[in-house]
Parts: sequence; structure tokens; C-alpha cells
Amino acid sequence: MDLFDSFKIASSAMKAQRIRLNTISSNLANIETTRTPEGGPYRKRAVVFQSSETPFGQQLEQSLKGAEQGVEVTAIQVSQEPPKMVHNPSHPDADEQGFVAMPNINLLEEMADMTSATRAYEANVTVIKSAKRMALKALEIGS
Amino acid sequence: MKDITLVSQLQSLQSSRPEAAPKAAAGFAEALGQAIQDVNRQQVEADQAVQKLQTGGAENLHEVMIAMEKADISLRLTVQMRNKIVDAYQEIMRMQV
Repeated sequence: MDLFDSFKIASSAMKAQRIRLNTISSNLANIETTRTPEGGPYRKRAVVFQSSETPFGQQLEQSLKGAEQGVEVTAIQVSQEPPKMVHNPSHPDADEQGFVAMPNINLLEEMADMTSATRAYEANVTVIKSAKRMALKALEIGS
Repeated sequence: MKDITLVSQLQSLQSSRPEAAPKAAAGFAEALGQAIQDVNRQQVEADQAVQKLQTGGAENLHEVMIAMEKADISLRLTVQMRNKIVDAYQEIMRMQV
């Protein structure tokens, strides 16, 4: 059914935005982390989104030629930006010059990303609500 | 879902000879049965989703909500279909013979 396809698309977007929010929360939690299992400070993580072909790609191929697509998270990338060097000789992880490698996370950027993820999630909830309203309106035709 | 539009039903009635009549009736009953089974399946799915959420097995809250909404819409569609069928039946009962 067409209606349930739009549910599926919105659902895939909500799942992706939730993963994005999880990544942001991990970044914010580790904003001061200087020790990681890989060594060195924590590095900022970012999600990579890609439009998904499955599971309704084949179905749409005949009717819409892939005009509607869901989204999925294909990777969580680790930022390759160099860590921020902060002068703090009293820190246990300071080097000989007294500099500490801090995570390359910008608090403002993370907050902006978080707002964007929340808004995108809300937009998809609105899509589902609209689809549902349309379906219920269609059911009113008979009465 | 099978085609249950008025036109196709009328066509099947038109073309049905006495020996073909039971087949047409089976077609409609089959379509109705399938639709009801579909609705039931969605109710069961929604039930399972809620159960999974309560036992901590569900990954996404919104998927549970969507499953519930789907079940809700299907059930409403079924109720409307039933109303139509009962209406049609009563209309036939009122017919002068």
C-alpha cells in the first residue's frame, strides 16, 4: 500500500537521525577525553548518510523509477582533523612542553548538529502524522 | 489485495452463468478473507512490537508506534468495509419482490 511506503521512508529517516543523535551524544560525552584504547585523545565521530535502495527499491522500480528513497547510515567516520593542543602543564597527559592533546570537538558545532537532528526527526514525525491523517480522511469518504 | 471494485464485480456477475456463479462468490469471499487476515496479521505484529518494547528488546520506539498506527488504520478500514457490507445487505432486504 502507498500509505505504508511513506511510513517506511519516514521510519528509515527517523532511525538514521537517531543514530546521528547517538553519535553527537558520544562526541559531547567525550569532549574532555584524552585517553582512548587506540591511544591519543578521542576523535570526533560523524555519520555518513546514504539513500537506500532496499527494501522497496525493486517495488518502486516499476512504478516510480526510484523517485522515493529512504535513508540509511552507511558509516560512522572518525574525524582526521588534528587534535586541539592546549597548554596545561599540570595535566597528567601533558607532553614535555606542557601541551595536552584534547579532542577535536567543537561544542557549538555539536549543539547545532543536535538541533538539526532533532528538527529532522520532528519533520519525519510530521510526515507520518500527515500520511495517517490522509488515510483517515480517505476512510471518511464512505460515511 | 484482489480487485473488489464495483465495475469488476458487476462484470463478473454479468458473465456468470449458473455453473459459474459459485466461483464468483468464492472470489469475493476469498478477497474478504484475505483482507481480514491481513488486518489480523498487522494487529498481531503491533502486539508483538509492544511486547518487545516492554521487555526491552525493541531497538526503535518509533517503529513500535508505526506498527500500532498501521494496525489502527487497517482496523478502521475493516470497520468501514463491514459497514458497507451490512448497508448493502440491508438495502437488498428492503427490496420489493
